[in-house]
Amino acid sequence: MQQLFFFGKHTISNTLNIYIKTSNGSTLSMNLNPQWDIKNVKEIVGPKLGLQPEELKIIFAGKELSDTVIIADCDLGQCSVLHAVKTKRPVKFDNSGVFSEELEDVGSKPLCETLKDLSNNEDLPDNNQQPKAHFYVYCATCKAMKQGKLRVRCHFCKSGAFTVHSDPQSWTDVLESKRITGQCENRPEECENILNNTEPTFADFYFKCAEHTSLGEDDEAVPLFLVRSNVRSIPCLACGDVCNPILVFPCLEGHVTCLECFNVYCSSRLRDRQFYQHAEYGYTLPCPTGCEHSYITEVHHFRLLSEPQYAQYQKFATEEYVLNAGGVLCPQPNCGMGIIPEGDCRKIACIGGCGFVFCRLCLQGYHIGPCDLPDPDNTDRKDCDYNVDPVRASQARWDEASKVTIKVSTKPCPKCKTPTERDGGCMHMVCTRSGCGFNWCWVCQTPWTRDCMGSHWFG
Amino acid sequence: MAATKRLQKELGDIRNSGLKSFRDIQVDDTNILTWQGLIVPDNPPYNKGAFKIEINFPAEYPFKPPKISFKTKIYHPNIDEKGQVCLPIISAENWKPATRTDQVIQALVALVNEPEPEHPLRADLAEEYLKDKKKFLKNAEEFTKKHSEKRPPE
Repeated sequence: MQQLFFFGKHTISNTLNIYIKTSNGSTLSMNLNPQWDIKNVKEIVGPKLGLQPEELKIIFAGKELSDTVIIADCDLGQCSVLHAVKTKRPVKFDNSGVFSEELEDVGSKPLCETLKDLSNNEDLPDNNQQPKAHFYVYCATCKAMKQGKLRVRCHFCKSGAFTVHSDPQSWTDVLESKRITGQCENRPEECENILNNTEPTFADFYFKCAEHTSLGEDDEAVPLFLVRSNVRSIPCLACGDVCNPILVFPCLEGHVTCLECFNVYCSSRLRDRQFYQHAEYGYTLPCPTGCEHSYITEVHHFRLLSEPQYAQYQKFATEEYVLNAGGVLCPQPNCGMGIIPEGDCRKIACIGGCGFVFCRLCLQGYHIGPCDLPDPDNTDRKDCDYNVDPVRASQARWDEASKVTIKVSTKPCPKCKTPTERDGGCMHMVCTRSGCGFNWCWVCQTPWTRDCMGSHWFG
Repeated sequence: MAATKRLQKELGDIRNSGLKSFRDIQVDDTNILTWQGLIVPDNPPYNKGAFKIEINFPAEYPFKPPKISFKTKIYHPNIDEKGQVCLPIISAENWKPATRTDQVIQALVALVNEPEPEHPLRADLAEEYLKDKKKFLKNAEEFTKKHSEKRPPE
C-alpha cells in the first residue's frame, strides 16, 4: 500500500486513485489529493524509482505536465494512468526552444486546458476567442452518450508516454491518423526508427468515457464527433430552439439540429425505412435538408436512438446489407434470416435459421418446375368471360389470406418490384425502398410522365 | 415534441406578421397540427372572394411536409374538385425542414393568383385557361361569386 505524504497546507477532501506507469515497466498505484501539483507527485514518485524529483517528467494525454499544474485541472478520472519517465535533457529549455541554464519550469499545461473547440473543417479558428473543447462519446459500458476525454498515445508502440508537438486543430487531426507528430518517451529510438526515419513519430488520439471509472487502458469510447457544444448559439433547424449540445451535420453549410429533433428525424426515417445503405459508411442518413455529401460517416451517432429503435435500425441495416449483397431474406414469418447464396442456385435452405427450404425466385416453398407467379391480369380489374372470378377464387384459399391481401391492396414498383400500398394522396408514387426512389404512376404502373399529370394525377 | 414547439413559434410569428393574404387563422388548442385559415387573393378572378384552407402537419413535422387542402370550392386549373392541390414546395422530394409555413402559404397564394396551366390538376380548366382565357375568367368569376367565402374587411 502506498504511503501517503501529507502536507500541512493541504487538506484532503477526496482522493484520486491513480496509476503511475514508469519507464522501467512497473506500475504504481497512488492516492493523490486533487489539490496537489505535479511537483508533489514527482517528490513521491522519484524516490520509488531511485531518482531525484527533478529528473522526472510526468506525461499525461500527450503533454509533459509542468511542476505547477494542479492535479484537479488535468481531467484525470479515478484509475487514470500517468506516465513517469526519466528526463534525458541535461540542460532544460523552455517551450519557445530558447536554452536556459536555470532549472526553471518545463512542460506545459494539460491538453484539456490548451485544446480549443474543434471545428469540422480545417479552418484555423481565431485561437484566443475559442472556448475549451468538449467531447461527446458513445460509451459501451454506460450504454449512452456521455462526455468524453481525449487521450494520446504513440502511433507505433501504443504507449501513453508520448508528447505531442502541437495540439490538434480540427477533427480531421484527431480522427485521421498521422496528422500530428510527437515524441515517444516509451521507446523513443525504436519508434523513431520504425520507418527508417522516413517519417516522424505520430500521435494517435482516442477517447475515454468521462462518466465511469476507467477500466484500464483499453477502455475506449467512440467519439460522436458531430455532437458539439453549441458555442455559437445556433438554433435547431427543425424546432428553432437554441439547445446544447447540438448535432452538426457534415455538410458544407454545417446544418444544426438539437438532439431531440435529431431523434425525431432518425425515427421518422427509420419508420419509413428511408435510411441509405452507403458502401463505405454503412446504413446512414444525410443532412435533413438534403445537402450533397452530407452522410453521417460514424454510424454510432444512431446510438442516440432509443434501445428498441436502435435494435430496429440494426435489423434494417443487416437486411439491406444482405439484399444489396445479392442475398435473400428467409420468407418464413418471424424468421427473416439473411442468406447470401453461392452461385445462382434457386433452391435455398434457411440454414442456421428456421430450416425452411424455399425458391429464390418466388420465395415460396421450394418446387420443381417454373414458379407459379401471380398472373398480372388477376390483380387488374379487367372484365373477363370466366364464370369464376379469379380474384374471388384466390381469396377463397385458406392459407393464402395474406398473400391475397398483398396482391389485392398493393402494386409492385415497376423498377424494384417491391409490393407498394397507396394509402392516399395523388397517383404519383415515389418508391420508398431505400436506394430505389423510382417515380411511377399508380394507374399506368409505368414511369411517371407529364401525361399522367395531365389526365389522372389525382385519379 | 419538435413539431409542437416549432408550430407554436411559427403560429405566433404568422399571427404577428399580419399577412394580408392569409387571415382568420384558427387553431384548436388541443391540436396544433391542424390549422385553418382564409386565403385572400389579390388577382382577378379570385379577388372577388376568399377561400378557406386547412393545413395538416404530420407528427414528424418538420421532417415531413404539411398537407394543404381547400375547404372552399374554387375554379382553378391547379386545384381539383376535392380541394387537393399539388404545391412543389411541400412535395416529398422538394421539402426542406427549414422551410417555414409562411413561405408555404406565400407559394400557395402565388399559385392561386397565377395559375400554372402547364402543371394542371384539372386538364379541362387548364385547356380553357390556355385556349379561351376570356371564357375562363368569366366562368371563374361567376364560380367565385357563387361559392367563395366573404372577404374580410381590409
